[in-house]
Amino acid sequence: MKNSGRAAALFLFPSFLFVLIFSLVPIFESFRLSFYRMILTLPWLGQKFVGWQNYLDLLTDPVASHSLLTTLIFVTVTVPLEVLLGLAVALVINEPFRGRGLLRAVVLVPWAIPSTVASQMWRFIFNDRYGLFNYFLFGDQTELYLAPLADPQLALGAIMVADVWKTTPFAALMILAGLQAVPDELYEAASVDGAGGWQKFRRITLPMIKPAILLAFLFRTIDALRVFDLVFVMTQGGPADSTNVLQFYGYKKSFAEGMIGAGSAVSVLVFFLALLFALLYIRILG
Amino acid sequence: MAAVLRASLTGALSLLSLLGFVLLPRLSYGAPAELRFVSWRSDSPWVWDQAIKDFEARNPGTKVVREIGPHSSTEFHDLVTQKLRNRDPHMDVFFMDVIWPAEFAAAGWALPLDEFFPVSEQQKFLEAPILANRYRGRVYGVPVFIDAGLLYYRRDLLAKYGFSPPQTWPELVRQARRILAEENEPQLTGYSGQFKQYEGLICNMMEYILGNGGALWDETGLSSSLQLASSKEAVRFVRDQIIWGISHRGVLAYQEPESLALFVQGRAVFHRNWPYAWEVANDPKRSKVAGRVGVAALPSFPGGKSVATLGGWQLGISRFSNQPRLAWKFIEFMTGSEMQKRIALFAGRAPARKALYRDADVLKKNPQFRSQFEAFTRAVPRPPVPVYIPLSNIMQRYFSSAISLPGSDIDRLAGAAARDMDRVLDLLKGK
Repeated sequence: MKNSGRAAALFLFPSFLFVLIFSLVPIFESFRLSFYRMILTLPWLGQKFVGWQNYLDLLTDPVASHSLLTTLIFVTVTVPLEVLLGLAVALVINEPFRGRGLLRAVVLVPWAIPSTVASQMWRFIFNDRYGLFNYFLFGDQTELYLAPLADPQLALGAIMVADVWKTTPFAALMILAGLQAVPDELYEAASVDGAGGWQKFRRITLPMIKPAILLAFLFRTIDALRVFDLVFVMTQGGPADSTNVLQFYGYKKSFAEGMIGAGSAVSVLVFFLALLFALLYIRILG
Repeated sequence: MAAVLRASLTGALSLLSLLGFVLLPRLSYGAPAELRFVSWRSDSPWVWDQAIKDFEARNPGTKVVREIGPHSSTEFHDLVTQKLRNRDPHMDVFFMDVIWPAEFAAAGWALPLDEFFPVSEQQKFLEAPILANRYRGRVYGVPVFIDAGLLYYRRDLLAKYGFSPPQTWPELVRQARRILAEENEPQLTGYSGQFKQYEGLICNMMEYILGNGGALWDETGLSSSLQLASSKEAVRFVRDQIIWGISHRGVLAYQEPESLALFVQGRAVFHRNWPYAWEVANDPKRSKVAGRVGVAALPSFPGGKSVATLGGWQLGISRFSNQPRLAWKFIEFMTGSEMQKRIALFAGRAPARKALYRDADVLKKNPQFRSQFEAFTRAVPRPPVPVYIPLSNIMQRYFSSAISLPGSDIDRLAGAAARDMDRVLDLLKGK
């Protein structure tokens, strides 16, 4: 017994080491740095301990509150849409029909395309002169063409559309896994009792796949809170700062401006937001 | 026992592979001297490819690996500084935008080049770009070409209505309105420039603001000047007259390539860009308006002077390079008379070396350089400070917010941006 425990520890050691080096150490380092003022382009200021100053600055900076708001809007709009559409897609590709294998593969394509490539593609689709988006809406009436990525009221919406397109397959995949675990006997028994299609869905399918749905919500929320690549490629935070999500704001602080302390404080904020949502969902999951 | 043995084997193996990841790239270093050059995506890539081939041919045993980054200065900055922060030895030579040398010097990322690039040699270059490469008495980069904002216009359209190139901004707007109304062509727009939220927005807006007697910030007092009436007036003019008056809204998402594309497709009357646009706009393979394009100094405001933003690119050496001498050899070649001439002839870039503005071949291919030489020498640099990037981000946010909506509250936005800028500028005080 004792022997196998030691063996287990040994087996786990490499993955623990991996997590330690690539997750725990950077997280801890971000925490530490967020209490310092450190500006790479002004090395003579040194690394000075400033306590909660970076966090206070973050709280009082209207640009930061605006980007927090933008991020929360992004999450609350995209995640429910993705899970709902994912559920619909999963229900369809769970039914046995000719060509199901092919359809399953096709549905997954958006998820398989690298984010930057997909973002670049959506940038072209939303182009104000030759974009497909305008062509579908207005055809040859070029005078009506919109410029979604140049309009502060439309740009965030355009990024949301791209995100929903890209990650719905992920939600569908998770829910499909849940659907496949529902035993057929339950449906047979329900049929014997005279239940209709809708009743079967309400009373059997939905309760059985609830954990899968919640899991899809959890993963999508955490991911959406960290949205970055779409913004980076499609708008760079503009126009009028309307797509400056938290993660992009923090990236600019740390990587472009060299303000390591202030940037780390943003990362820590995003970390805690994600943790909060994770705890909430895990609580609901029971 | 066997289990333990296997477990420790697995552990040892995974550790080994981990080490392998870290060590292998270092061990596999090849025999020929490999020089890594980080550059952006060029509009005339073959010119640079050929230059690298020639350098390799003249220096046998040397291989230049060219890593290509994004076209946008803002995004290219992120790539280069990431390598510098990581002290990446696999980047020897890199391009620097004219606004970076102060930052790179202060951060200790760029190698001072005084030993290779003495004052006597510096004097062969235009003064403005050399000043932009100096920080606290030392020089950190060698200019390859310089940029200055220019006004391109459709010669055929202006001639059709009897207009000469506009001397003032209001005149430009009047001409554009008239042409748009008469031509009645929905695809045609009056003006295309760079108004996306990125560094190019600063270059464009600075030309209006300084041209109206305003400023971005006070370099001696270290405080923002965005809230000055003259600065705000210029921003209001851009919003009401340029963007919402004579342009297509899409211009708010345009960088150089998109705005130039619109012009070469014959869909814009006026276009603001750097000197390279002349070459592209007159190349029948890439332009529908080849031969019908004119170029002039940017307009001014009535009673003011024409202001062109100084741009341009330099080559610098990373302090973390293991072969600064070889890196210098490469820079010497790339910034020499022969290469700058070639870049002027085939990429339409304005040379940084003064003598080339008297070169017969260069002037034959780019006759506009003769009249523009004076504009190039007068081009205004963005103030060089190590915290330029945070200041730029604040200004980008302000300008984009001010011009993207017709009813923006410019007074409030300018006040907020000025406060943010003052906080950053305060970091420079007492030093």
